[in-house]
Amino acid sequence: AGAEDGAAGPVRDGAETGEPGPAVVEAPPPPLPGLQLVQQGAEARVYRGSFLGRAAVAKLRFPKLYRHPALEERLSRRRTAQEARSLLRCRRAGIPAPVVYFVDYASNCIYLEDIVGAIAVQDHIYSVQRSGSDAGGLLGLAEKMGQLLARMHDEDLIHGDLTTSNVLLRPPVEQLDLVLIDFGLSFISGLPEDKGVDLYVLEKAFLSTHPDTETVFQALLQSYAAASKKSGPVIKRLDEVRLRGRKRSMIG
Amino acid sequence: IVDPFQVLVAANKAVHLHKIGKMKTRTLNAEIIFNLSPNNNISDAFKKFGISDSDTAVLIVLVVDREKMVNLEDIASQVEGQQVSLDELPQLTDIAKVKKIYKITPQEEKIGTLLDGIICRISTKDV
Repeated sequence: AGAEDGAAGPVRDGAETGEPGPAVVEAPPPPLPGLQLVQQGAEARVYRGSFLGRAAVAKLRFPKLYRHPALEERLSRRRTAQEARSLLRCRRAGIPAPVVYFVDYASNCIYLEDIVGAIAVQDHIYSVQRSGSDAGGLLGLAEKMGQLLARMHDEDLIHGDLTTSNVLLRPPVEQLDLVLIDFGLSFISGLPEDKGVDLYVLEKAFLSTHPDTETVFQALLQSYAAASKKSGPVIKRLDEVRLRGRKRSMIG
Repeated sequence: IVDPFQVLVAANKAVHLHKIGKMKTRTLNAEIIFNLSPNNNISDAFKKFGISDSDTAVLIVLVVDREKMVNLEDIASQVEGQQVSLDELPQLTDIAKVKKIYKITPQEEKIGTLLDGIICRISTKDV
């Protein structure tokens, strides 16, 4: 309800999302005009609002009171800083990601460009599969994704949380203009192991969220392999990581 | 300066740090100039973004309390020059020099505007 100066009242955790846990008075929402809560996650609350006249997203990493307070602050702060650092790294390397408008280290809130009208790849795949007609569109998407991830890994940037909801498509969707988001778990590493695991996380997320997309993901990996100069060892590690997965015997 | 938003971002950061007592410089205005700079050298920031004798154009930035009244004519009258619209900013700016100062990479220019690259550097300078 029209909170012009963003001064919304305290929100009770359980009531909003059904998330179990102690009811607490939350950290104050970001002071943005036109503030709207977009998503309540386990780690952070995502808002939309206007930052100095521009459509923006504010990601507030709030204290979880069941965590030890000393750990709390460090974790939230580190994730915020890591996200900012990675977004700058992406920008410099020409990897599409939102522009960082402001980082508030006092409240661990990061203000980013809101890519208006963008849809998550996840939602795009849902709608393509629902409508039944694809005509190879998802393969084109897979190719672009593979290329994008190859460029990211070639910069030794590990996303850490690759899912189809962390890749956006700018409008118009047909142009397959991708944008990576949510770098809170990202880190720098040149190790094929870390890159392999990054892809494995995506594979698990991809195949469990989108049934019957094995060929699509295959195409993504092929595109990745073709686009990345260092892909050989990475794909090899990916194969090894797959064998290591849950409920897989490491005997002999 | 390529766009007023660039100054707004630098000023917003300065006001924020001022409010929590964590500025890197001694005054709010110095902090705005410092924030505009892509590096942490204060005197370099002043050299590049502060005014000097050789400048032919200046952008005046005022930070005021919402409730306080400001007489803009008073301020303008202290400047010996002609006040022009902010729309003319691109004509007053040496884009090549800006790209050089902020070290904007060629890859960056493909994924966004020059302003985008500048804003990212201002906002993540201290990370």
